[in-house]
Amino acid sequence: MKTFFNSNRGAFITLLLLILLPFIIGLFDGASPATVFVNGSGQSKFIQGLAIEIFILAIYAISFDLIFGITGMLSFGHSLFYGVGAYTTGIAMKSFGLPLLPTFGLVLVAAVVQAILFALVLPRVKGITFALVTLGLGSVFHILVMSSEFGPYTGADVGLQGVITPAFISPANERLRFYFVMLAVMVLVYLVYQRFVTSPTGRVCVAIRENEGRARMLGYNTFYFKFVALLLSSFTAALAGFFHTLYQPIVSPNVAGMGFTVTALLIVLIGGVGTLNGAFVGALIYRLLDYGLRRYIGESASFINGAIYVLFVLFVPYGIVGTWRLKSLQMKQGWERLLGCLVDK
Amino acid sequence: MNSFLRKNIVMLVAVLIMAAFLIAAAQGMEKQDFVITLLRGLAVGSITFLVASGFSLIFGLLDVLNLAHGTLFMIGAYLGWTVVVRPDTFVDMLTPLALIVSGFALGDVYPLLASRIRLGLSMRRILPWGMILVSILLFGFILPRYPIAIWDVGNYGQSPVTFAFMADSGARLPVQPAAFTEISAPLAVIGLLLASILGAFGISLFDNTPRTVRLSWKNFVSIAVALVVALVGLIFNDQLSAFFYCLNSNWLFFIAVLVATLSGVALGGLMEATLIRPLYSRPIYQLMLTLGMSAIGIEMVRAIWGRPEFVMPKPAFFNGGGEACPATNFADWWTNHCSTILLFEGRVRVYNEIFIPLVGLVVLISIWILLQRTRLGMIIRAGVQDSQMVEALGINVRRVFTMVFALGVGLAALGGVLGAPSTGLSNVMGESLLLNALIALAIGGLTSYPGAALGSVIVGMIQQFIIKYGQIGIVIPFTDIIFKPTPPLVPASTVLLMVIVLLILPNGLLGKKE
Repeated sequence: MKTFFNSNRGAFITLLLLILLPFIIGLFDGASPATVFVNGSGQSKFIQGLAIEIFILAIYAISFDLIFGITGMLSFGHSLFYGVGAYTTGIAMKSFGLPLLPTFGLVLVAAVVQAILFALVLPRVKGITFALVTLGLGSVFHILVMSSEFGPYTGADVGLQGVITPAFISPANERLRFYFVMLAVMVLVYLVYQRFVTSPTGRVCVAIRENEGRARMLGYNTFYFKFVALLLSSFTAALAGFFHTLYQPIVSPNVAGMGFTVTALLIVLIGGVGTLNGAFVGALIYRLLDYGLRRYIGESASFINGAIYVLFVLFVPYGIVGTWRLKSLQMKQGWERLLGCLVDK
Repeated sequence: MNSFLRKNIVMLVAVLIMAAFLIAAAQGMEKQDFVITLLRGLAVGSITFLVASGFSLIFGLLDVLNLAHGTLFMIGAYLGWTVVVRPDTFVDMLTPLALIVSGFALGDVYPLLASRIRLGLSMRRILPWGMILVSILLFGFILPRYPIAIWDVGNYGQSPVTFAFMADSGARLPVQPAAFTEISAPLAVIGLLLASILGAFGISLFDNTPRTVRLSWKNFVSIAVALVVALVGLIFNDQLSAFFYCLNSNWLFFIAVLVATLSGVALGGLMEATLIRPLYSRPIYQLMLTLGMSAIGIEMVRAIWGRPEFVMPKPAFFNGGGEACPATNFADWWTNHCSTILLFEGRVRVYNEIFIPLVGLVVLISIWILLQRTRLGMIIRAGVQDSQMVEALGINVRRVFTMVFALGVGLAALGGVLGAPSTGLSNVMGESLLLNALIALAIGGLTSYPGAALGSVIVGMIQQFIIKYGQIGIVIPFTDIIFKPTPPLVPASTVLLMVIVLLILPNGLLGKKE
């Protein structure tokens, strides 16, 4: 038990910090924990909102990391998974008045359907062609969402508005509860992914990334493993979409577009491709940077975003977590040397 | 005969399906509508082809999926527009650009100089960074103060939209020539030259590979040309601006096409040499890099030319009007230069629907000749098959890579400047065209040159016919329902076609099996 705690010290400290975060921010702002607990307005509530967005982005990005970083399939239609989750939730709750749980079931069904759709394509095309076909599938969905025929359901290019979130997790009045639900979901997703990657199935997925022909020679039916990875990824992304609709007052059609897939790619790249933790670090940095740039620089924020993207590709190709893992021993030794100098003299 | 059939079965089936599709499309509409739509499809196909062919050459030889290609297409269009509508800005830009280039034109001199300098190890490490820092500081000091007569995005009366509108209606807004006020002209010129030489020297010092360098006359000729251009641009600035303003709009358009294409070539070469080259060992990262470049390019265009859409005037050669228009036959058109011509009783716009497909055809044939009949083309074709083998045979493949990248981007920029008068300029023209080109290539075969042409024409045709049927409606057989395809169906139909084609033939219609 003790060794378990010791080996995962970083994760536990982060979790503890995230649990205490709303109250700490509240204290800085001069609001007592009790005020924060009853969702009094203030800095804490705003930070909670930002954190919820980061959690949703992180869940979405980790699902992209599973198929891109772990299994090695480059998909340009990943925003389809997220978009289907978001729009299914919105349409089911708004137009058909379904309660939360049946909606959630519907989202899961939709996730299976889209994974099967991708799986139909999977055995026929590889590499760049797979990227193009998924791009095509993604853009068809984007176009359908934007088209005026489905306007009454999807809100066309304005976006889906007026989805009423059930009162007990309403982002306006019960934001703290929403925050903890999101945190729990994120931790759960991370644990499932960690388990998946270390399981025999996950190992085979990594083998497929490294050399698919060899994995097949060893007797694995690679299609089956790719399909499992797609299914899990699709579930997770649709889950992120589900919470996106619950949290955001408006579901913009951009979440189904190519740009949102690029967002996932950017997040995974910043964090480190194929590292899982990287998705969380990347989402944090991406969202804060985006928020800060839009606030202080305004319109040209995506210029800086693009520049950061290029700089990361050229100079930090393994991302933050990847570089950390590569260099952690050196860094530790460096710290020890530095501390030794300070203590001795 | 039999083997011919077996080899080209896919192509023949595709052509048959196309023909059946065209015949079916012709049933539902008037003859003149059919001709116009056909020509429009060809025009869209030509522009798509210009982008797609460059894209496919780059992908075939370098294995780089250049997702910034659409943005470079857009930059070509905007640069061409600048030459046509604001020649004075173009003339003002000449001097600083030539000065910036001049330092880099002396490429082979620096290693010789560096070998003469004896320095300690630490100094040798610091020196390049110091030079680059000084160079950047000098550029940062001089360039914002350098006078360039330019529009003002924030002020509507001076915005590109107004300039474009006035130029399109034949009048020109009076422009204020910029003068050296904050900095004296000799100081600016010498400063820029110094900054450029320092920067180029600093960058060349990073390259430590020992090699024998022989000075050749090319270096001195290129720096002399750059300096002469800079000085002429500086001294005869007003005369040159006035000359360009008085110039016939046909010549101006021709110069714009040249400038845009050459800038595309230069941009492409620069991009490959500096950004793409370090990443050949990590293909996925190249793809991400081009995505980032695309975002940066779009933002730069937004910052310089603003967000609103505007038009580019057509050259007078295709823009005549008056009593005799529309022309009834080509001889008639030649004397009057009407903007439209009557073909099968339909009014066809000469520039959009006849000139652009012709240019597309010319480019198609000339690149085909380049690929099939020249030494460079032979190297390119061999490189597409196996670039390592070509390198092993002693050919400098890296140089060919740079040339092909430059050629591809130049073609995209050419497409941009040619398409601008017919479609207008907007911030999103690059992205939508890139999607079209990708679909066209996926249909035709990613690395196949004829495939790029076939795919582009198919995509252009389908889009235009669906747009046309969106106006007149399709009568669904055996019912009285009239189905009108809506605008979103236009991209959706081509995307669906791409998915279907890729599922049946993963290599596209004309792509070779691996």
